Amino acid sequence: MRRTLAIARKELEVTFTTPIAWVVLMLVAFVSALLFNGFLDAYRFLSLRALTMQAPEVMEQLNLTDAVVSRLYAWVALLVLLAAPFLSMRLFAEEKRARTFELLLTLPVRPLEIVLGKYLAALVAIAAALVVAAFYPALLSLWAEGTAGGAGVEWQTVGTGLLGIFLLGAMALAVGMFASALTESTVVAALVSLFVLGGLSLVPALAVVNEGPLKELTLALSPFQHVAPFLAGRIELRSLVYFVSFAALGVYLSDRAVEGHRWI
Amino acid sequence: MIEVRNLVKRYRDLVAVDGLTFTVGKGEIVGFLGPNGAGKSTTMRILTGFLPATSGTAKVAGFDVFEEPLEVKRRVGYLPEQPPVHADLTVRSYLRFCADLKGVPRRSVRSEIDRVAARTGSDGVMDRVVRNLSKGYRQRVGLAQALLGDPEVLVLDEPTVGLDPLQIREVRDLVRGLAGRHTVILSTHILPEVAMTCEKVLVVNQGRLVDYDTVEGLVAKHLPGRTVTLEDIGFLEDIYAKLVAPAAPAAPRAEGAAP
Repeated sequence: MRRTLAIARKELEVTFTTPIAWVVLMLVAFVSALLFNGFLDAYRFLSLRALTMQAPEVMEQLNLTDAVVSRLYAWVALLVLLAAPFLSMRLFAEEKRARTFELLLTLPVRPLEIVLGKYLAALVAIAAALVVAAFYPALLSLWAEGTAGGAGVEWQTVGTGLLGIFLLGAMALAVGMFASALTESTVVAALVSLFVLGGLSLVPALAVVNEGPLKELTLALSPFQHVAPFLAGRIELRSLVYFVSFAALGVYLSDRAVEGHRWI
Repeated sequence: MIEVRNLVKRYRDLVAVDGLTFTVGKGEIVGFLGPNGAGKSTTMRILTGFLPATSGTAKVAGFDVFEEPLEVKRRVGYLPEQPPVHADLTVRSYLRFCADLKGVPRRSVRSEIDRVAARTGSDGVMDRVVRNLSKGYRQRVGLAQALLGDPEVLVLDEPTVGLDPLQIREVRDLVRGLAGRHTVILSTHILPEVAMTCEKVLVVNQGRLVDYDTVEGLVAKHLPGRTVTLEDIGFLEDIYAKLVAPAAPAAPRAEGAAP
């Protein structure tokens, strides 16, 4: 445990003293701010129209959290999926290139402790990005008012949305960490994980059939299909299983890849 | 303390280590000599559990390197050929990271770091980022890392590369100070260093052991009738040339310079 935490602390020190984490955080903040403004404007326009047109049924359907926060978070999810390969590419590839991997493998540490420490640090970096993303609904809640004096922002939906994005990030990082454990080049590690994650996300669009088991399968493989219920405020077991099993597989394969160095 | 038996390491067609057998007793300081590519680094990597052997066994402190790697790694301090320092960390946080991984007791981490830093002369650069250090200082920090936790066995791969002459002398004194309590195996190209620090010399060539003896033993065997002192280091060059390049014999010297 102490060794895992020591590795995690070192990784965090490196992540937050080099630009990469800050670039990711800035990107999330910048894009989110832009979209947040846009979605808020659209919402205001829609509610004004509904007011002037005296359409109470439309007014009842309008939901601030769904119209602004969930839409925003769908984009944050995409950003996280694109950023994760750059956060995970360094984890092992850089150690191999700098020959510090030799140190890790000759200190009394188990491969699993190394892998978990590095994974933990990467998860913290993603969590930091989500703290930035959580700032926008917080800002909204300062002024928004719900009907009958309730809270304007539905924090449950926001919470499941953030959980969904975090799980997506955890899955993407596990894939990226495995790619990093296989190569000495950070560029190759980033490209491989982008390729795998992009492939999984795009495969439903490429499936020629519109229905049937093949379509079902491609949809079930796509990470965005599994984020969607979280953004809508539901925690679906199959999506939970999807993310957690991907993450576990990535950690397991990375552990094997590190252990494998003892054998060749 | 170190027991190597019929060690073989093959990289596809290349045989890096070819049936190496030797033992190092507790508290001995052994110099590892040989031309580039003789298999010194490979042997050290196997001893520290970084590489597996193709065949043969290596034991450190009674534990097989391959079967019980963690037990071996707990007892070995290792300085690889390239000092394994993280460029983005400060020296202090790097040493703290290593101390945590080596399982140095929490309350003594700080004093342990100060101790190894003082011994290796890196206490002046503790808060500098490794990236900005000179090669010599990186080497010292790497050596400090190997000494952390006071391991029984030290495996040092060219510990004096990149150091200036005065620093080389410091490291030499440091290594000599380890004798008795620690078992040290160090590789080097600098022959005077072997003569001054090591009790025994292990000469390898093309992966094979050519000779393994005390410095006096080597002199008696290969330069019979010649008396040598530590100031006269030419004798080691003669022995080395004899052992390592049998095809091109060393320039003939007047034998029996001493009466």
